[in-house]
Amino acid sequence: MRITRLFQRTMFGIFFLFLLIGVSTSVVSIYSVDLHLTSEYEENSRDIAKTIADASVDIILNRDLSSLQSLIDQFVEIQGISYIYIVNDTDEYLAHTFVPGIPEEILESERQVGETVTRNLAGMGDFVEVSSYILAGHVGSVHIGMDVSHVALAIQQAIGNQIYLIAIIFFVGIFASIWFVSFAAKPINSLLDYAVILAKGDKEEEPAASSEQILTRNDEVGHLARLFQYFSTVTDTEKRENEPDVEEPK
Amino acid sequence: MAHFGDMAKLTRRQLTQSVLASAAIAPWRAYAADPSGQASTVPSGTLTDSGITDSEIVLGVSTAFKGPSRGLGIELYRGAVSYFAHVNDQGGVHGRRIVLKLRNDGYQPVPAVENSVKLIVDDKVFALFGYVGTPTVTRVLPVLKKFQDRDFLLFFPFTGAQPQRQPPYDEFAFNLRASYKQETAGLVDNFVSIGRERIAVFYQADAYGRSGWAGVRAALKEYDKKLVGEATYRRGEQYTAVMRAQVERLKKVNPDAVICIGAYAACAAFARDAIDGGLEIPIANLSFVGSENLLKNLTDEFGTESERYSRWLVNSQVVPSYEELAMGSISEYENLMTRYDPTPPPEFEEHDYVPFAKSFTSLEGFLNAKLMTEILVRAGPSPSRALLEDAVFSIQNHDLGIGEMVHFSPERRQGLDQVYYTIVDNNRFVSLTDWGAKFAA
Repeated sequence: MRITRLFQRTMFGIFFLFLLIGVSTSVVSIYSVDLHLTSEYEENSRDIAKTIADASVDIILNRDLSSLQSLIDQFVEIQGISYIYIVNDTDEYLAHTFVPGIPEEILESERQVGETVTRNLAGMGDFVEVSSYILAGHVGSVHIGMDVSHVALAIQQAIGNQIYLIAIIFFVGIFASIWFVSFAAKPINSLLDYAVILAKGDKEEEPAASSEQILTRNDEVGHLARLFQYFSTVTDTEKRENEPDVEEPK
Repeated sequence: MAHFGDMAKLTRRQLTQSVLASAAIAPWRAYAADPSGQASTVPSGTLTDSGITDSEIVLGVSTAFKGPSRGLGIELYRGAVSYFAHVNDQGGVHGRRIVLKLRNDGYQPVPAVENSVKLIVDDKVFALFGYVGTPTVTRVLPVLKKFQDRDFLLFFPFTGAQPQRQPPYDEFAFNLRASYKQETAGLVDNFVSIGRERIAVFYQADAYGRSGWAGVRAALKEYDKKLVGEATYRRGEQYTAVMRAQVERLKKVNPDAVICIGAYAACAAFARDAIDGGLEIPIANLSFVGSENLLKNLTDEFGTESERYSRWLVNSQVVPSYEELAMGSISEYENLMTRYDPTPPPEFEEHDYVPFAKSFTSLEGFLNAKLMTEILVRAGPSPSRALLEDAVFSIQNHDLGIGEMVHFSPERRQGLDQVYYTIVDNNRFVSLTDWGAKFAA
């Protein structure tokens, strides 16, 4: 495949343009997916915390704590939720899902209900914790911890899919641009060949089929070819007219 | 236990006994569930929505026949089967044999719920009977609420938790055993009475563990005291599990005693690691633990050295010791267990499980079956689910043959209240009479 220098620049331009689009789209996409998924996880967990909080009121006030444990055990089966604990209004732990016990970091931390708290629990990992008051805090509060690595994995998967798609579009775009450039360059190369033939002025040479084709083209290249042919003819005529008559030696 | 390979050695009397026992137990085997939990056969006669045919009364059982807690489900079943087999041998209840429709839930809540729906909807059983576990039963109770228009009742689950003892689900269940509240209160009272006031708990991280935890907490509150520490484990842990992290947590709070709310495999592992870790204090277990299986785990590993671990054990029980042969039902239990020697359901049998000749769990299953039979007798020749509750409430000061009268009423849906305490002596559980002499601080 022969690509004219003129189009080489265009092609590199297209390549860099695609690269720029790909990288910028990926960056924006990573940022928005990260933001969106993290916020979605937090929102979902907050909704779950609120659901548990609403369901807990009656259980804490009227029923056995095993029902409360049974309730949170069902929610902790949801993917992404790593732990749940419920404390009462005197900060006593009424139910939780920790094994082998409530981590020291949580026991020693100050309760921040309603806020998103980032926790690093020894031997367990990093977590984002959301919470909700039970009966406006008069009964206690529910706290839900999401495994950051799980959220990160979900984000990585979503971003990975986007980058995969962008990469496919990028490579298809590159190959398409090469094809388009070579498609556009082909008649120019033919024109160049034709111009070379005209420049040589070799009238004896049979006109090539490509030359015939290029002269019949109904586009700019065809016009240029016919113009070259015209100039060549005019130049030849002028050349002949300007040549001095040479007498035969007597 | 008679095997075909032993036939040549049997006397004519033993052979007759063996054939009779097999014939009596056959209904359970023929009408059990296959290993996948699906029904394999249909009962004889036409089973209507009532769970009653002309010849059978079908009770639905979902329990742990497999998994780390299978010893509980199997032993409870064996005890019940030995009595039902006896009843069937005597002609059944008003001419109907009692048949158990079995499903395995592995002591897991979701299969327990699925099994219960199948037992009610597909198998059309008369009532549910002999379930095992708090996390399972707690999740099954809403199923009974859902089908309340069909009057399904759950009889004598092997759990002392509160959810089936208090509103809104108490109306769907009848309990025979004392509650965990009563067991834990008894343990706390006794520990406090001998000066062991710093009490910690080791418990299963689920509804069962929480129920026991709440019981200990409430009992300590009576003395104006709090739990000094706690450690948890995940349901389904095997004896091979390492409990050192739990032991370390509890050692930090320097307890006088630990009350365990767990199943036998995990509690045996904890006792092992606690003693090895220097936590040489009384380790109490609730009745649910499965005392004989717990001890077997220790003796299997340590043989004669197991005394080093078992001497700190004190287990609460909700039935008398099976050594109390002076009690009518205990002696009957021993006779019938010997006569029928029930095997685990073949459909669920895992060949590495060796049943116990006698155990607290199978004795409880036996007593459950005995009282269930009494209720079915009182329900009359044309029993219906709608009238079953009246049959239960007709039981007033009924002598179950264990020295404690049983009575039920709309306000009292638990038959027994007595809690017994046992310790290990010569590799068997015996009654604890003097707490001070054994465990004084």
